[in-house]
Amino acid sequence: MSSRSLFIVALAWLCVAAVPAAAQTPADSAAAFEAKVRDVALSLRCPVCQNNSIEESPSLLAQDMKREVRERLAAGESPDQIRRYFISRYGEWVLTKPRPAGINLSVWLLPVVALFGGAVIVWLAVRRWVRQGDAARLPATAHPPLVPAAAPDAAELRARRARLQASLEELESEFAAGRLAAGDLATLRQRDEAELAGVNDALKRLKKEPGAKPVGEAPAPSPAGFGSVWPVRLAWVIGLAAFALILVLSLRGSVAARTAGGTITGTQVTTSAAPLEMEIQKIGPLDSLRIAQLEATVHGDSTNVPALIELGHLYLAQGLLQKAVLVDTIAIRLQPDAPSSAEAFAHLGMILWGTGETEGALKSLDKAVFLRPELPEALLYRGIILFQGMQDMPAAAEALDRYLAVAPPDANTGRIRAMRDAARQASAGK
Amino acid sequence: MKWQRWAIPASGLPVVAFLAWGLTRDPHTIPSPLPGKPAPGFALQTLAGDSLRLSDLKGQVVLVNFWASWCLACRAEHPVLIEAAKRYRDQGLRVVGVAYQDSRDDARAWIAERGGDWPIVLDVGSHTAINYGLFGVPETFFIGRDGRILYKQIGPLDKEVIDRWVPKLLAAAPGTAGVSGTGAPADTFAEGRSAGHVRVSPEFPTTGGTVRPK
Repeated sequence: MSSRSLFIVALAWLCVAAVPAAAQTPADSAAAFEAKVRDVALSLRCPVCQNNSIEESPSLLAQDMKREVRERLAAGESPDQIRRYFISRYGEWVLTKPRPAGINLSVWLLPVVALFGGAVIVWLAVRRWVRQGDAARLPATAHPPLVPAAAPDAAELRARRARLQASLEELESEFAAGRLAAGDLATLRQRDEAELAGVNDALKRLKKEPGAKPVGEAPAPSPAGFGSVWPVRLAWVIGLAAFALILVLSLRGSVAARTAGGTITGTQVTTSAAPLEMEIQKIGPLDSLRIAQLEATVHGDSTNVPALIELGHLYLAQGLLQKAVLVDTIAIRLQPDAPSSAEAFAHLGMILWGTGETEGALKSLDKAVFLRPELPEALLYRGIILFQGMQDMPAAAEALDRYLAVAPPDANTGRIRAMRDAARQASAGK
Repeated sequence: MKWQRWAIPASGLPVVAFLAWGLTRDPHTIPSPLPGKPAPGFALQTLAGDSLRLSDLKGQVVLVNFWASWCLACRAEHPVLIEAAKRYRDQGLRVVGVAYQDSRDDARAWIAERGGDWPIVLDVGSHTAINYGLFGVPETFFIGRDGRILYKQIGPLDKEVIDRWVPKLLAAAPGTAGVSGTGAPADTFAEGRSAGHVRVSPEFPTTGGTVRPK
């Protein structure tokens, strides 16, 4: 090849190579990069929230993790390398889709196994039904007068015997009355007596081996229905018992009273600070439903103070403190001096106390008690703050006394009484 | 033929047993890969403005405590940490605080109010937090003289946890420094592995359950 033609070939190659490069604008590659970031972020689980990927989670940590993903991709790491990095820090847990290895494999295999097993069961059942149908039809055509289609049981056989005996007696009396010819009597009697003998035979056999089929046994051992063999029954009983056990266990876990400071939904943790713990115990398991209901109400009418306050209560119990502050503040703005706002003031007081704003908390709770002197949670938190925050023992003892007087006793009463006694002692000692 | 009749329902039993076993487990217990591994290094600015590297503390027993001024559980934990720092200082325990998703001013004010004389670094962008596989604050890493994480505490520290792990770390021979290999004494390493399962949350608020002023 001459150098000239070599040059032309090289030029042609250059043109071909330049086409995709020219077609791909910077905007395209930026979009492709973002898509890659999204892909990786979707495959990583947010540590703060449950069942959200870091792509979907609004939490700050998830955003920081996503930035980490972006930086690493920009630095040239492959998506797999990045996933490996996060696994080395957070464990396999961090993957939104577990890897098909080890025990995780069951997630992939069990559905297939279940599908296959189900198909086998259906096949066996259908085969059984078909055979049963055949078995029922076969003897019925083989000996029509002697053997009925369905396998008769003892009671049926006895009834048939009684009928035949009655029929024989009737034949005799008909003959005696002269309404029946002697020849006819003989044939009819022979027919009935033959059938009676068959029935008697069947009854005898039934007595000898109870449980066995009396007559009309199909030539092949007929497959019985599900309930007829004891190991099958046992297996079913065990299976059902295990299922019931699981049901009870899981129900107990989800319905049982929450422990103080326990979780409400997975990692949405109630704060471990003692005051909120006490509040949380009063909340039942159907709160999220109620919250959705109330949110809809408030959405329609944002001046509905009772709904706002109940929502504040539920938010507080769920640890959604910012939302609680929001709805309670709205309620207070709407009706600053109504007794119904006392609860909103009490909520704000609890939250402020949780953040360490002791004086603000006390002010808010004072207002709550002023509006409703017998609001238990306001009295309780005032007492706790006076005791722990302000160390004002005489006032704490008084507030806790009032709380104990109005509140029905619950799991915390003992602790509160102990606190009251300590406050009394301390104020007496002064 | 007969075996099929009971084999089919009986084949469901392993599945049932497997599911029943699953119910006995706590979904919040997440195995952490970090105990037993070398502690990820960092070089961050302290609240005072100096630079601090974890590698500067090589050969010493270090508690790396992730906390935040907006975190409620950290308030409960702080006195425990102050006490531990005081009690074990002479034996060579060093504490490093890492302020997580926090501002310099807030962190400084918090420490000024509550005490604590150990260096606090500011983890801007949570890079170090992610490097330590952080779920929330507070979390504390117990790092031995060999630079390995022996134990990870999720949630606030208490005296019992400190007294269980710190003396063990301090007692380990100082000559075992060296980041890789099996430098850790056998029993320490085994304990590190047994501590590899950590419990996430219930007892302490993650960011989801705490008050964020911002």
